[in-house]
Amino acid sequence: MSKKQKQRIAAYGLVLPAFLIVMLTVAYPIVSAVIQSFQDEKTGEFTWDNYTYFFTEPNQLKNILYTLMVVVLTVVIAIVVAYLLALYLRFTKSKIAKTIGTLYLLPRFVPAMCAVYAMITIIRDSGLINRIGLLFGHDIHLGMMYHASGIITMNLWFNIPFAALMITAGLGAIPDSIIEGARDVGAGKLKVLTSMIFPLSAKDVVVASTFVFMSNVGSFTTPYLMGGNHPKMLGIALFDQFNKYLKYNRSAALSVIMFLICSVSAFVYIYTNLKEKDWEK
Amino acid sequence: MFKMLNPRRFYHAVGRKKFWEFILLAVFILFFYGPLLNMVMLAFANEYSVPHILPEQWGFKWWGYIFQQQSLVTSMIQSFVVAIITTAVSMLLCIPAAFSIARFKYPGRKLFMLSFLLTNAFPKLGIYTSIAVLFYKYNLMGTYVGVVLIHMINSMMFMVWLPASAFRSVHRQQEEAARDVGAGPIRTFFKVTLPMAMPGISVATLYTFLGSMEEAQGTMLVGMGRIQTMPVAMYGIVLDSSAVQIGAVFAILLIIPSVVMIFAMRKYIGPEAISGGFKMK
Repeated sequence: MSKKQKQRIAAYGLVLPAFLIVMLTVAYPIVSAVIQSFQDEKTGEFTWDNYTYFFTEPNQLKNILYTLMVVVLTVVIAIVVAYLLALYLRFTKSKIAKTIGTLYLLPRFVPAMCAVYAMITIIRDSGLINRIGLLFGHDIHLGMMYHASGIITMNLWFNIPFAALMITAGLGAIPDSIIEGARDVGAGKLKVLTSMIFPLSAKDVVVASTFVFMSNVGSFTTPYLMGGNHPKMLGIALFDQFNKYLKYNRSAALSVIMFLICSVSAFVYIYTNLKEKDWEK
Repeated sequence: MFKMLNPRRFYHAVGRKKFWEFILLAVFILFFYGPLLNMVMLAFANEYSVPHILPEQWGFKWWGYIFQQQSLVTSMIQSFVVAIITTAVSMLLCIPAAFSIARFKYPGRKLFMLSFLLTNAFPKLGIYTSIAVLFYKYNLMGTYVGVVLIHMINSMMFMVWLPASAFRSVHRQQEEAARDVGAGPIRTFFKVTLPMAMPGISVATLYTFLGSMEEAQGTMLVGMGRIQTMPVAMYGIVLDSSAVQIGAVFAILLIIPSVVMIFAMRKYIGPEAISGGFKMK
């Protein structure tokens, strides 16, 4: 046996166990869900009904649009704020910047439910903000519980630190020397920002927005604890189809719809990640 | 000292730039840490009725209450057991796979990496429900094996992507140098490659452990009440919310492992290490 063959056997041997687990726990369930989504509930024959239901039923259609609105708003606000924060962390060398640079790592590791619960103690009708308002003689009702604004606020809490972290890592890879170089030949601050820093960090922005987008389309904990009943986020709608109405074929179809929504951003992600290969090798 | 509490005086005392930095820090802490701190305060409040901002009576009443509930204490033990098994098994399966991906080139390598992105794009609940059907067939519902498998779905992407990017950053020449002085391939791996890739591996381990500690949706579905981890118990508490304090105490108990582990691994955790887990190279 040649050395190359031996190496190849070793390579496949090391990968195989993990590969089998992925096949069992990811690929198989997805394939079977896709098949199920095209089957009639009773007869098992091929049908589009499970899909048309979600696009013709007004409530379900509203759920889809509502989810898209919440997710797009979350992505846009989170990325803009995170970018500004990352620029600040990259180009300011003060004690405060250092403190924020340490503190923003924690939210990523706080269990989702704890964070949501903590936020609820602040914004609910008898929460901290209401109590502070009463101290000054105002009865403040934020109305954020069971409303899109509450969900978006919570999503920002989770995603701003994450996006900022991804972008900071990208900005950190831009050496000071090339920025100084551009400044030396007369480029203004704005020019450096638009024609050097933006393009060089574009890839990290794409990576960050992809993961923010994908994790929020199917999010469950936040809308489950904070969201209203009508309209619902798709994660909850899916849970209901499965748990409340026991419509397995419909829930499979909704999973596939959510997957298709996510795959738009996954495609952009893969495209930018593969493109980089050519020049970064 | 109190002169500083006047914003205008403060502005002139520290200068424009510092002033806005302090504002930024204040907003940052209020938004990201305010809710958590409020929750910590609530956990030590024996009495906390509506118009009061601070608790009327401080104490450990609710901590005693939690530790008297047999079901909550068992849920803590089960959480740790599941998290430790999940972490150990995914390390055993994924680190060899990561090494293989980083060091060898063979067809199918990219596809394998991409299959992990799939877990993030397809709604988790859709995957869980399809797996549940499979688990019913093989009597895995309500068993530790079933729950650990579900937890591994979430962690495998980090457990492969992060160590893979860590292994890739170890220079081949260093391994070759070890081989030249007579070390075998296995000894080289454990004495040279592994220690140098340790930061990436530690962050991945941290993610896996904490991810397993906070997973709720899949555990609820597959555990069938027989295996009840802390987050599953927490759902009941939050929705019940007879007293905010119970939820607050329990949430703190859930956060403690995160804080301890972040503190223990603080020298490894940074934007660069974490962002490696989201990039497919």
